[in-house]
Amino acid sequence: MMLEHEIPQGTKLYFGNTAKIKREIEAVASDVLYKADYEELITPLFSYHQHLSIADEKELIRVNDTQNHQLTLRADSTIDVVRLLDKRLGRNTSHQKWFYIQPIYMYPSKELYQIGAEYIGEKDLSKTLQSAIDIVKALKIKPLLQLSNIRIPELISQELGIDLDLFKHINIQKLLDRKVDWLKAIIYLEKLEDIDSVIEVVPDIIKLELERIKVLAQDIEYDNFVIAPLYYAKMLYYDELYFRMIEKNDVFARGGRYVNDEVTSVGFALYTDKIIEKLEGSK
Amino acid sequence: MLTVALPKGRIAEDTLEIFASIFGEEFKFDDRKLILETPNFKFLLVRNQDVATYVYHQAADIGVVGLDTLEEQGLDVIRLLDLNKGVCKVSIGMRKGEKLDLNKPELKVATKMVNITKRYFAERAVAVDIIKLYGSIELAPLVGLADMIVDVVETGATMKQNGLEVVADIMTSSTYLIANKNSYFEKKSEVLDIFEKISKVVEND
Repeated sequence: MMLEHEIPQGTKLYFGNTAKIKREIEAVASDVLYKADYEELITPLFSYHQHLSIADEKELIRVNDTQNHQLTLRADSTIDVVRLLDKRLGRNTSHQKWFYIQPIYMYPSKELYQIGAEYIGEKDLSKTLQSAIDIVKALKIKPLLQLSNIRIPELISQELGIDLDLFKHINIQKLLDRKVDWLKAIIYLEKLEDIDSVIEVVPDIIKLELERIKVLAQDIEYDNFVIAPLYYAKMLYYDELYFRMIEKNDVFARGGRYVNDEVTSVGFALYTDKIIEKLEGSK
Repeated sequence: MLTVALPKGRIAEDTLEIFASIFGEEFKFDDRKLILETPNFKFLLVRNQDVATYVYHQAADIGVVGLDTLEEQGLDVIRLLDLNKGVCKVSIGMRKGEKLDLNKPELKVATKMVNITKRYFAERAVAVDIIKLYGSIELAPLVGLADMIVDVVETGATMKQNGLEVVADIMTSSTYLIANKNSYFEKKSEVLDIFEKISKVVEND
C-alpha cells in the first residue's frame, strides 16, 4: 500500500528555497552559455533511438507509441541532441554550440536534472570546459577539477597487456607489481609542474596523450585541478580527453571529447541536483 | 587527515598494529569507543559488512575489508592493496559423500552471500533457489532446508564437525586496503603515502 505522502524512490521534489536555488543555477548557467554563443535546445522526453546508444539498456524506461513501436524516456541528453542536430535540424541550422537544461530518467524511477552543452565539430575540449568553469565560478563554488585522458589507460593496456579492469578499480598494487618505471611515474603524477618529467620517460604513443592533458590544463583559467592520467571508466561516448568536477563524494560535472558519425565534438553535463545540495548546505 | 574504517575484531587489531609499526606509536581505541583520533588519522570502528559502505559514501577515505565482502557488496571503491591477512575461501559445502551435480533442474543453496552465489551459478547456467540465512549456515543441508551451502571456509573444521565437506571453491579471499574514489584523487599524495608504508610492512611479513 502506498501512503499518501510517498513519492517513488529516486524522484526529486524541490520546493521553496531548493526550487529557488535550482532556478538560480539554471539562470546562471544559461546566462554564461548564451554569452559564450550557445543556443538552447529542448529535446523530446520520448525517444525512438536511446536504446541504440545507451550502454545499459536495463536503465531505460520503456513505453510504446500508437503503432506499438518501442519508445523510451530520455536517459541521456547528448545522444538525442547530437542525433537531432545531425539528422533533423541539419537543414535548418548550421549553429554548432548548443545547450540544454532538462532532466533525464532512468529505470525504475530515477530523475536527474542536468545542464549540458555540446560544441559540435569542435576538437578542443578547453572550449567547453572553460564554459563549465565559468558556470561554477559564477555559482561561487570551487570543486576539484580532474583532468584525464581515456586513451592513456587504453594504450597502456595494449602496450603492457594489462586488463583494463585494473584501471577501473585503480588497483595500484597490481600496476606497480609490473615494475615498469614509467608506469609508476604516471601513477604518481598529479601536478602540472611534474608532467614534463613524466612525458620524457613514457613510450611515444603515450607522450602525445599526456601532452593533450598538459595543453588542456594550460588553456583553462582555473587553479583547483589535478591530473589523473590513469582514470578509466566505461564511457558511453567520451573517448579521449575527459574531465570531472568533484567535491567530497559528489560529482558536479563530467565532460569530454567524443566522435559521432566521424564528427568530433566536445561537451559536458552539470549535475544540478548535486549543486543544489551544495548551495543549500552552504547557505 | 585521512579517515580509516576498520572492522571490529581481529582485523582492526592487526591493522592498528601495522600503523603502530609504521609510525612508532600505539594506536588503541578506548574501551567501547568507536572513534580514535590522532593528529594524522581518524579511525572508525565499524561492522565488517559496513566498511565498504563507509568508504563508498566517503564517511571514511580508506578502509580494510575482506575481498569476499567487497565482491558480495559490489560497491565501486578502489582496491589499493592486498594485505595477505585473513586468508580464507568462499566454498560450496555439501553433506559428506554427496557430489555436486550441476545438471539438476534446480538447486537449493543456503548462504549469507547471495550475490557471489548468484553469480557463480549464473556463470554456469544453473538454476538455483537461493535461501538467505544470517548464521549457522551449516545447519541448512542437515535439516533439508537446502541441498548445499555457500560459506566462508578458513580451516574447514566447522563444516567437518557438522558432517559437511567442501565440494568446490568459488574464490579465495583476504583483507584489502580500499579507498574512496574521490578521496583518492583529492588526497592522492596522502593515500599513496600510506599505501607505500603499508605495502612495505606487508612485504616484510
